[in-house]
Amino acid sequence: MKVGFIGLGIMGRPMALNLLKGGFDLTVWARRAESMAPLLEAGAKGAASAAAVAASCDVVFSMVADAADVAQVALAAGGVAEGARAGLIYVDMSTIAPSAAQSIAARLAERGVVMLDAPVSGGEVGAISGGLTIMVGGDEAAFETVRPLFACMGKAATLIGASGAGQVAKACNQILTGVGVLAVAEAFNFARKSGVDAGKVREALLGGFAYSRILENHGQRMLDRNFKPGFKAWMHQKDMNIVMQEAHRLGLMLPSSAATAQLFNAMVGSGMGEDDSVAALKLLESLSGE
Amino acid sequence: MKVGFVGLGVMGRPMAGHLLAAGHELAVWARRPASAAPLEEAGARVCATPAELAACCEVVISVVTASADVEQLALAPEGLLAGFAPGAVHVDMSTIAPDTARRVAARYAEKGVGWLDAPVSGGEIGARDATLAIMAGGEAAVLERVRPLLSCLGRTIVHIGPAGAGQVAKACNQMIMVNAIQACAEAMRLAGAHCVDLHKVREALMGGSAASRVLDVMGGRMAARDFVPGIQSRLHHKDFAILMEEARQLGAPLPVAAQTWHQLNALMALGAGRDDTASLLRVLEPVSTTGG
Repeated sequence: MKVGFIGLGIMGRPMALNLLKGGFDLTVWARRAESMAPLLEAGAKGAASAAAVAASCDVVFSMVADAADVAQVALAAGGVAEGARAGLIYVDMSTIAPSAAQSIAARLAERGVVMLDAPVSGGEVGAISGGLTIMVGGDEAAFETVRPLFACMGKAATLIGASGAGQVAKACNQILTGVGVLAVAEAFNFARKSGVDAGKVREALLGGFAYSRILENHGQRMLDRNFKPGFKAWMHQKDMNIVMQEAHRLGLMLPSSAATAQLFNAMVGSGMGEDDSVAALKLLESLSGE
Repeated sequence: MKVGFVGLGVMGRPMAGHLLAAGHELAVWARRPASAAPLEEAGARVCATPAELAACCEVVISVVTASADVEQLALAPEGLLAGFAPGAVHVDMSTIAPDTARRVAARYAEKGVGWLDAPVSGGEIGARDATLAIMAGGEAAVLERVRPLLSCLGRTIVHIGPAGAGQVAKACNQMIMVNAIQACAEAMRLAGAHCVDLHKVREALMGGSAASRVLDVMGGRMAARDFVPGIQSRLHHKDFAILMEEARQLGAPLPVAAQTWHQLNALMALGAGRDDTASLLRVLEPVSTTGG
C-alpha cells in the first residue's frame, strides 16, 4: 500500500514518522519545504503538491489546522481531488467541524474519492509514542483498509459512524476535556481560597467518584504550576468554537460548554493562548482577586 | 400622620425629608445617632430604640441593607414589634429576601400589626426627586392606609400581591437591570476590543431597538470609565445572592443570571464593591497574571 501524508507540523510529523517506522512506502507534502526535511531524511519521498501525493498513493492522510486548510488540501487547485485516482481513500485527521467534514467528503465523493474523518486525542506525546486515540467517521470498508495504518499511529481506532461522526466524537472529547479542565481549576481555586491544600484535595478525590484522568494529570500540572503545553489554550478555544458553531446550527443548549468557551476566550485575550489549557487556573485566580 | 423612619442612608435621608416636608409628624431611630442629627435639626423626634419609635408612631418606614437587618429591627427584644400598638403598620422599603418579608409579616399578624414590603427602584436620584417606583407586597387595605405617605416618595405605586410579592418584583427588577448592565458591558468590551469609539456606539444604539435606560446611563459611564457610584456594585451582588437562593429553592433555572452573578463575584474580588456596577466592564478586560 502506498501512503501519502500532508501537513507535517507538531502532530503530523511524528505521525508520518510512525508510518515510516511501520514499513510503509510514504510520500509527503507540506506547504513549507523545511517541514518536509525530517521526513525526507528518514526515507520518505517528497511530492510537489497535494495533487502529486494523491496521484501516487492509495491512502492519503492530512493533519492541518482548520476546516479552511482541509478544504484547500482536498479541493483547491493542486489538491487531493485533482490528483486522485478513483478509489483513493483520503483520511483527514485534523480537528474540524463535523458539518465541514461532511461537506468536503460529499464533494470528494463526486470525484470518486472516499473520505474518512479521523481526528485524534492524545496530543504531541501520543503522536510521538504512537499512542493516539483515533475517532473515525465514514465508510466501513475504507476504515478496514486503513486500520493497519491507524495501528502505526494510535493504540485505538474506533469507527464511530458515518461521515462526520469522527468529528462529532472529537467535539464530545473537547467538551469533556474543556469543561473538565475548568472544573478541576475551579475546584482547586475554591480549595485554596478556602485555606485548604489543593494537593490534599486532589489526592483524596482521586480515590472517589470525582476521579478522572484530568484530575490526575492536569490537576498535578496545576499544582506544579506547570503551564507549558501540552495542549495550547488557543487550540482548545478553537475546538470549543467548533462546538459552539455546531450547537448554533443544531439548536443545542450547551450551557457549560458556552461558559467554558468564554473562559478560553478570556485566556487567549489575556495572553495565555500559548500556555497549556491548565493555565485556566491562573485566569480564575486573577478573576478571584489575585 | 405620625410616621417613624429607620435607615437614614443615601436613600433614606431624602425620603424622610419628603415626609417632613409634606407635614407629617416624623420620629426617627438610627443605629448611629450622628445620622439622625440632620433630621433632628429639621424637626424630627429622635427615639432611643426601635421599640420606642414604634410606640409613638402609626406607621414606621424602614430602608436598611439586608434581610438580617430587617429581622433584627422588627423582631429583636427592643425591636419594632415590642413597641407597636395593634393596628400600626411597618412599611419596609429595603431590598430583602421575599421569605424574610413573609416571615416578619406573619409574626406581625399574630399581634395585629400590619406589614408591607415596598422595595423601590430608581436609586438615589429617584429618592431625591421623589420619583421612585414602589412595588408593594401585603394586604391591599394596608397599602391604601399608607398610600398618602408613599405618594410623597414615589411616582408609581403598584400593589403586586400578598406579603413578599413586592420583594419578588424587586428581585425581577434587579435581575433584568444587572443582566442588562452585563450585556451592556459585553457590548462595550466587544466595541473596545475592535478599537471602536464606545461613545459613538452608545450614541448610535440609543437611536435603535437596543436603546434602554441601562445603555444610556451605564453605557455612558462605561465609555467614560466613570465608575463612581451611582449604586455600589456590592449591593447588586447582595441582591443576586438573594434571588439565586430563591431560584434554587423554587427550582427555577436562571442561566444568564447565574453568569451575571459570577461576574459580580469577580468584581468583588477585584475590590470594586464600592464602585458603580458599570465596573462590570472591568471584569471582561484582559487580566494581568503574575505568571508561573
